[in-house]
Amino acid sequence: MENILELQNLSKSYPKSDFTLDQISFSLPYGSILGFVGENGAGKTTTIGCILNTIRKDSGTVKLFGKEMGDGDTDIREKIGVVYDGDNFPGFWTAGQLSKVMAGLFKNWDQALFQKYMEDFQLPVKQKIKHYSKGMTMKLAIAAALSHHPQLLILDEATSGLDPVMRDDMLDVFLEFVQEENHSILLSSHITSDLEKVADYITFIHKGRLILTAPKDDLVYRYAVMRCRESQFQAVDREDILAYRKRDTQIDVLVADGREAKRKYKDVVVDHTSVDEIMLLLAKGERV
Amino acid sequence: MRGLFRNNFYATLLGAEAFTGIALLVGVFVVAMDNAIPSLIIGYMLLVMIGFSLNSIASIRKESATKWGKYKLTVPVRKRDIVISFFASQLLWLAVGIVFAGVGIALSIALHGNPFDRNTDIFMLFVLGIGISLFMGAIFFPLYFLGGEERNEVILVVSLLGGIGVIMGLTTLINIMYPGNMTTWQTVMSGIFMMACGAASFTVSVPLSVGVFQRKEY
Repeated sequence: MENILELQNLSKSYPKSDFTLDQISFSLPYGSILGFVGENGAGKTTTIGCILNTIRKDSGTVKLFGKEMGDGDTDIREKIGVVYDGDNFPGFWTAGQLSKVMAGLFKNWDQALFQKYMEDFQLPVKQKIKHYSKGMTMKLAIAAALSHHPQLLILDEATSGLDPVMRDDMLDVFLEFVQEENHSILLSSHITSDLEKVADYITFIHKGRLILTAPKDDLVYRYAVMRCRESQFQAVDREDILAYRKRDTQIDVLVADGREAKRKYKDVVVDHTSVDEIMLLLAKGERV
Repeated sequence: MRGLFRNNFYATLLGAEAFTGIALLVGVFVVAMDNAIPSLIIGYMLLVMIGFSLNSIASIRKESATKWGKYKLTVPVRKRDIVISFFASQLLWLAVGIVFAGVGIALSIALHGNPFDRNTDIFMLFVLGIGISLFMGAIFFPLYFLGGEERNEVILVVSLLGGIGVIMGLTTLINIMYPGNMTTWQTVMSGIFMMACGAASFTVSVPLSVGVFQRKEY
């Protein structure tokens, strides 16, 4: 069993909104972080909802730890830690009360570990959660998600709204978590710089469709953007073009192999690219 | 289930603390007053039994203010258990209300004597309080899961009025069946019948609510 999470042709439609999650397939290997990227409304949260069974899928399969998770599979949910964006817990609770509730829900709840995270994150245990700042509530949610010794963390926009310093702290926590080879993280975000720092794989969805899933290093080190003039663009082999976008007199062309492009198109400027630029070209650019 | 009960307890706690304070103040006043006219003690008994139950079910709304309702589905509990915990919590708070009502009437009788013509009247007051609470819960939960959090207030009002309405309907039915003065036996049996109806509807409401909740998406 190589993958902690596997999605095969996952589909879900909402007739009232015309949104359809269309045949999403990707997998998350053990010991790795998968960055799940897409613009707002792309379908990231719907996909996560289908994974966690908070939303009923129309078709396809979702396997967690090699098994499809039903409502009765509480043993699987023992091994999953979840963090949603925003307020995960009732504001009238204190962190101490949260801990007591969680201790009654998770067999492996580790009170000492939770206390350690509270100290490390400098969170007051007796203060009501509604008086926490946004950053503090996210830290608390991450502490709670980690304190029952999960193997899989599912983070839905867990770093959005945090300042860069705090985000960096959280990314360090995530990297430490995946030091264990049977631990993995599905990190949904539209902050691509975070994913570039920590992700091993990037999966990109756009308007409910899977656009790309690839190792991050391939995207950062192999993918490239050719800055073409119109005449140069016409000379480019169509099969080399993943996507292109016209910007005034320049046409940016996304290619899968930058070295090959440099060798093949000597008069064209070929730049290294970022996940952010790849996402923009795939989302807003045109396909051949 | 332990975690779910704690969750429900914390959700209910603030309201329950405030209501307990009110119940104690009103209780002291009612017990201190002469009970020759028993309307005060009748009102008090119904208030505490229905009030604690109502606070319990009204507290569910607090979960919708955050993502906790959705988060709870990702923890190792079954959806069925989440729903059952709500019903069980209401029963526990109803029991608290019954204790308050029992202590109130006991102290009132101890200080001022029995204000009722017949001892079965006290029994019937408990039947009314418990019956209204059970019917209220039986109506509230499936409607809440069906209608969503945004309709919570109207569902709460409909449930309370529905509970009162069903009890009034059953009382009318019993009065039609037994016109004129009822014997003690008939009164007790009528009370047991009303409680049994409340308990049956509460019990039937559990799988109904579970069914609705399991179809719900977050």
